[in-house]
Amino acid sequence: MSTELGRRAPRLALKDVVLMVTLGVVFGFLYWVFVQAWNGLAVLMGPAGDLAQHVLLGAWLLAAPVAVAVIRRPLVGVIAEVIAAVVEVFFLGSPVGPLLLVAAALQGIGSELPFALGRYRHFGWARYAASGAAGAALVFVFTAFRDAWWGTDLLTVRLLVQVASGVVLGGLLAKVLVDALARTGAVDGFAIGRAQGVIPGRYERRVR
Amino acid sequence: MTDTQPTGTQPTGTLLERRNPTVKVALLCAVSLTTLFLFDLSVLAWLWGLGVVGALATTRLGARRLVLAHAPFVAFGVGLVAVNAVTRPGPALVTVLGMDVTRAGLAVGAALALRALLIGVVTVAFLASTPPRELMVSLTRHARLSPRYAYALLAAHRMLTAMPRRWATIRAAQAVRGSGPALPEAGRAVVTLLVGAIRGAERTALALESRGLGSGPRSVWHVVPLTWADGVFAVVVTGVAGAVLAFA
Amino acid sequence: MSGDGTAGGPATGDPSTGDPALVVTRDLEAVFASGDGVGPLDLVIAPGEQVLVLGPSGSGKSTALHLLHGAIPHTIDAQVTGAVRVAGRDVHRTPVAALADVVGVVAQDPETGVCLPDVDDEVAFALENLGAPTTTIDDAVPRALDLAGARHLGGRRTDELSGGELQRVALAAAVAAGPALLLLDEPTAMLDAAGVASVREAVARVARGGAASVLVEHRLDEYAGDAGTAGLPARWVVLDRDGRVRADGPSAQVLAEAGRDLLADGCWLPVDAELDVLFGSADLDSPQVRAGIAEHAGRVRERAEERSRRAAVGPVGAGALAGVGEGEVLQACGLDVAPLGAPRPTRRRPGRAVLRGVDLTLHPGEVVAVVGENGGGKTSLLATLAGVRPPLAGTVLGPRPGLVFQNPEHQLTRLTVRAEIGAGLPPGPARDAAVDDALDRLGLTDLAERNPFRLSGGQKRRLSLAAVLVHDRPHLLADEPTFGLDRHGTIAAARALAAQAQAGRGVLFTSHDLRTVAAYATRVVVVGDGRLLADVDPHTLVRDDALLTAARLRVPRLVRHLARSAPGAATLRTELQGLDDAVLGLSQTAGVLP
Repeated sequence: MSTELGRRAPRLALKDVVLMVTLGVVFGFLYWVFVQAWNGLAVLMGPAGDLAQHVLLGAWLLAAPVAVAVIRRPLVGVIAEVIAAVVEVFFLGSPVGPLLLVAAALQGIGSELPFALGRYRHFGWARYAASGAAGAALVFVFTAFRDAWWGTDLLTVRLLVQVASGVVLGGLLAKVLVDALARTGAVDGFAIGRAQGVIPGRYERRVR
Repeated sequence: MTDTQPTGTQPTGTLLERRNPTVKVALLCAVSLTTLFLFDLSVLAWLWGLGVVGALATTRLGARRLVLAHAPFVAFGVGLVAVNAVTRPGPALVTVLGMDVTRAGLAVGAALALRALLIGVVTVAFLASTPPRELMVSLTRHARLSPRYAYALLAAHRMLTAMPRRWATIRAAQAVRGSGPALPEAGRAVVTLLVGAIRGAERTALALESRGLGSGPRSVWHVVPLTWADGVFAVVVTGVAGAVLAFA
Repeated sequence: MSGDGTAGGPATGDPSTGDPALVVTRDLEAVFASGDGVGPLDLVIAPGEQVLVLGPSGSGKSTALHLLHGAIPHTIDAQVTGAVRVAGRDVHRTPVAALADVVGVVAQDPETGVCLPDVDDEVAFALENLGAPTTTIDDAVPRALDLAGARHLGGRRTDELSGGELQRVALAAAVAAGPALLLLDEPTAMLDAAGVASVREAVARVARGGAASVLVEHRLDEYAGDAGTAGLPARWVVLDRDGRVRADGPSAQVLAEAGRDLLADGCWLPVDAELDVLFGSADLDSPQVRAGIAEHAGRVRERAEERSRRAAVGPVGAGALAGVGEGEVLQACGLDVAPLGAPRPTRRRPGRAVLRGVDLTLHPGEVVAVVGENGGGKTSLLATLAGVRPPLAGTVLGPRPGLVFQNPEHQLTRLTVRAEIGAGLPPGPARDAAVDDALDRLGLTDLAERNPFRLSGGQKRRLSLAAVLVHDRPHLLADEPTFGLDRHGTIAAARALAAQAQAGRGVLFTSHDLRTVAAYATRVVVVGDGRLLADVDPHTLVRDDALLTAARLRVPRLVRHLARSAPGAATLRTELQGLDDAVLGLSQTAGVLP
């Protein structure tokens, strides 16, 4: 009996689907906690609050790289990011509304692209950084259009700050998180666990 | 998270509770999309006002709860006004702390803030009138959402309600041992929260599978209806919004 | 069973071949990447047969269940060999979901075992997935709820139910489609005594409906209840530490063959079986049992006297703990306790208290138990006493205590066991020494560089205790410290707490296990109805029927029986500790923490 049976099915396993949804819920919840604390502060900071928001924007990208790194299948990053947005818009409520889904899809595409180019086999620091940068850059185009940033004083500053934030918080932080999770053993049952040096189909039974 | 407890698409519900969730999602999307092209303050103000009246008239939300629910959207809006006021080119109205406040900036900022309020009030009305189960059942039937995703989302919704307590417990466990700097500790707490959630996800997936989810064609016990009334509702909402766009 | 979606149908074997057996496994074996494995299993289960699977912690009891309905290897990765057929279907070629019409599953954790927001939808879900017509579902949902003893829960929301109620809903969902085989994976592991009883009764009712069942359970004493061995399934399958079948047959035969090994390996057995193994008689009133208990209790008493003599002579005992003064009590006055995780109270929303007007004093050197129903606010009380949750009213006076949480995973935030223990201590050689000492004292030295989350359940619990002890606080609070542990683990955890009290700390722990409470606590605080109902000694509590009813507590038969003849709490304590000694005496590794 091989463990491979059924695994190469074209659709994702239910376990992977529930995991993506769970990541969406956890990050959705954390963003929500974060935004509760954030809103008051942003009002106090006035114009600087908006910029500070740019600095932290990268953190909103986390769901995609984590999902891709754990499940290692095409489109997982996009779907995970969209699900996180669904949780936010339809379960928690967001001032951006359903357009957040569009932003999330773009974000997901950007974040997943570098991993897709590596055929979901390479997960080094540079790739995570590229993922964060691409995610932030794609979503920047969308937000700039939505909030009519074209022609404002800060366009370039905003772009640079957001991409930098994407690299650090949406890329490198994702790797820190994924590595920490991998060490806990919680993701052993997913593709990332199977990729960690275990030869499938030949485990030696240990006798105590 | 809204603290309202919608009771469902039942004949006894309020006007908005009886509407089909997929239709409501579509209208919410339409509003969100339309505002993308709106910068006229009076149009946005009219739409928001109508939204407030509509929410009060068709949901169980009282005035007080509706005002409270506006808080995060107002905060978001204030930030938008502040930043836009000082970052748009144009002749300065006044100078605050060395930054020029422009008329154009104020106008754009106010428009973006009103946009947030409008989306906010529609979202609040949606959340208060749509139980998650009805939403998912309707989306699988009327928007061809895969049941595997729909029921995974429903299970996740249950997880979401348990999340505050879990988070509080983890933070309490850290506090009791006298933890270090706040930010790294919060980061570690995130990993702990994720580990628990991922293990829970594996168990949930197994529970869904062992109940037969994904084995083939399924039936639906309490169908969420899509009726002519929903069509009328959609036409009325878009008609009113269209009228405001045309005449305001 | 041909997916006709009705509850309680007759059970059948293989419809295609006419084979009367419902489940047939041949050389079925699973091996995980870690090297742990289960099997080979050669089981034949007839329609309607009731089977109990038992074995020591980590022997792979749950894995065996997962193998029967294909969760392994379809959903959980493992290398599987051999064959398994259920109702004539090859499980390895059938996805888990496609067995849902013949197999119903109830898992351990009620939170993740129930997936939908409403009770009725949860039960209907399994039928919807089989494509049953809505009229059939209309009839089947109340019938399944009835069968699971959950009729009154119809129409409720799942997020307002207790663990015991959720498990009955999960059971109703599992039997809704009228499965021929029911797999129960420690369905009562996370419940209090009332929840255990309700689920046990529901399972028995379902069994009478004709479905075969395979039950994995480790708290057999609790699950069996007053009926003892007779309250358990008739056929027992025993797995040994390595996951191999050690015995398989009628319960009496299996007990005779493997009862001693099970007890020596730390398994919980029904009290009659335990007494039979220890003293050769299952009857509490028999002379052998009375003499045996008296003998062991005598030795416990001698040890205690020896200890107090030594403490009086040298500065080894109570004085050994630095910084603990004589009169440093922990005191709560008029405490109103807010539930953990509730939103911060505001002026507009003052917050609802789970417990009101709590007056409580914890003295150095005493062991106090807090008992009461799940959800009664015991955990929140501990969090408030520990100062991590501000009280809604009243004050907590005294030095800040340490707190060990029920779920050790909530406490883990570091990458290695060593770092976990050292968390929160100022860095330096003093910390390293303290950490090394704690590692050694709790037997974790070999695991120091491991990731805390990769430890076994018992190891995690020791780690969470070590991480709190290292802070050297004058008082120690512990939330359900013996929860989910095997017999040895329970004894070790209770004795570790008692040792802390002997070293001069005040110890306060919550528990739903009245046997452990009576064996190790000197005082019991009873919680119920949102307030403190009583502050008594264990002997008084277990004999006060009115108080037990008010607090919805159930006293195990053994404790009730011993309390009847014991003159006071001290005698009851030594007798129960004597029995623990006797169990530990069966195995060489005993006394070592789990």
